[in-house]
Amino acid sequence: MGVIDLQGLEVRLGNRIVLDGLTGSLQGQAIGLLGPNGAGKSTLINTLLGFHAPSKGTASVFGLDSQRERAQVRGGIGYMPENDSFIGNMSGVRFVRYMAELAGLPAGEALERAHEALFYVGLGEVRYRKVNTYSLGMKQLIKLAQALAQGPRLLILDEPTNGLDPIARLRMIQLIKEIRTQGSVRLLISSHLLRDIDETCDEVLILKDGRIAALCNIEEERHSNRSFMELETVGATERFSVSIRGLGCECACFPGGRIKLVIPDHIEVRDLYVIASQQGVQIRRMNRRRDSLEDIFLRAMDNELGRTAHVSL
Amino acid sequence: MSVYKHIYRVYDGKVTPAWARVFVLARYGFNEGWSSKITIGLFTLCLLPPIVFLIGIYLANNPIARALMGFRSPQILTIDAGFFLKVLEIQSWFALPLASWIAPRLISFDLADNALPILLSHPISRFGYVLGKFIALFASLSLVTWVPCLLLFVYQSYSSPLPWFAVNLQIACGLLAGELIWIVFLSILGLALSSWVKWRVMATGAIFAAVFVPAGVGGIVTGVLRTKWGFLLNIPFMMTSLWQRLLGAPESARASFSLPTESIATMLVLACCLSIAMLNARIRAREVVRG
Repeated sequence: MGVIDLQGLEVRLGNRIVLDGLTGSLQGQAIGLLGPNGAGKSTLINTLLGFHAPSKGTASVFGLDSQRERAQVRGGIGYMPENDSFIGNMSGVRFVRYMAELAGLPAGEALERAHEALFYVGLGEVRYRKVNTYSLGMKQLIKLAQALAQGPRLLILDEPTNGLDPIARLRMIQLIKEIRTQGSVRLLISSHLLRDIDETCDEVLILKDGRIAALCNIEEERHSNRSFMELETVGATERFSVSIRGLGCECACFPGGRIKLVIPDHIEVRDLYVIASQQGVQIRRMNRRRDSLEDIFLRAMDNELGRTAHVSL
Repeated sequence: MSVYKHIYRVYDGKVTPAWARVFVLARYGFNEGWSSKITIGLFTLCLLPPIVFLIGIYLANNPIARALMGFRSPQILTIDAGFFLKVLEIQSWFALPLASWIAPRLISFDLADNALPILLSHPISRFGYVLGKFIALFASLSLVTWVPCLLLFVYQSYSSPLPWFAVNLQIACGLLAGELIWIVFLSILGLALSSWVKWRVMATGAIFAAVFVPAGVGGIVTGVLRTKWGFLLNIPFMMTSLWQRLLGAPESARASFSLPTESIATMLVLACCLSIAMLNARIRAREVVRG
């Protein structure tokens, strides 16, 4: 059982199919939800929260159907919406307490955790101020505080860094990393900023036109490309390349002594240096290629069919 | 977790039952409604008529006090269905401004700052949300309607030297039923209109308008078409007729203009259904653009 399981999920809004047959299991500690505008990210989140009913298929959170067991699903989710969403007339602590009580915490516990959550996100000093007097960054933080106060199993953050200045953004990213490190809560982070997802998530679901364009573990994808290497050599390049082929590497030579090679798992980089030394070849430059999330995203977007369940890079 | 440690921890304590969340909404709503000084002022104003009626009941049942006040005739005050009809009417119409003031405060703050996505992302349904707000408004209006009315009835029963209570039980039932019908109608109407008008002052005006503007239209219909059915748009007329019948008081309207009770009940139910449809359309976490 994954954190989120999708089984042929289709969501229609009016006559338009917004999510089209999503199938997959998301199991990461922090799951990134990526996609261009209109890809269906927010619709997927709204479906998980039970705001939209699937026209086909199912979506489940921790094994609970998001539509039939809506109340239980919501009880385990802390949700930070993308847009402004608060009660401006209330003080920060009262607002967070109210949300915690709605999530099911007894009044006393809710008050205690409201104070804790506000201190945790850095709003401790302004917790008695009315929410509508907060700056944009503070409003983002109070949305995070109310999502945290109830102690959810899954935290859904919809564009958490939206509208934040660079310092506030760094602070928000740091907070998300801290929450992830604690390990007691899973995260689903929707963003159109690749950098945010890259810094905070270990798994990514990329949507395109309401379909899954990619679903992959970021670390694994990076790891799979660690064996790809680019060398710049001086000397008997051809002979050198024949020798490293003999080790079991796949390689291709290019003018100017450039060599691209894929090293099998059992070969160490040191072996290349040994061969180079034996053959009098100088290795002037060695680049280990690591795929960035941007590469993964762009490949997913280039995929014409847009139906790939798991991207292979 | 201690505050000074500033770390996150999962909540693993006990959770309140699902039905209790409705009362969380009601409690916060009630608190929001009564946090305004204007609400307190209106409430105080609503309690003045019962005090006057209380004095009236005291005088009616106390010949010495009557004599001291200079009332010679023992019939100067008769405590009967007519007396309680006046109490009911006055309290009901005093409840209107209170409802018009409180209802927008319950809904419009949530709508103004787009709080519904956050509120409804918690384990509470749209029905639960509306029910919570309804309870807050219903409880507020109860304080100025059926509660003082029944207290006056109890005081009259206690003060009267005759076996008054058993003989006039219909008045108590009529008071309770009449006020409950009125405040349920007023609460649903108030919440529905508040959900559509974000500006609170406008919402207050809209609630008054919803009660009195159709009455004017109904009057025109009645005058032009010479039919009594125009009164079906006249909420004050319909409610007065209903209250009179519930209390067993003589009807003030001419027989030719008298509306059947079934028609009045149908109109009130229709108005409530329309209000619920308005709430259903408006109280949503997400607005879906069709197409």
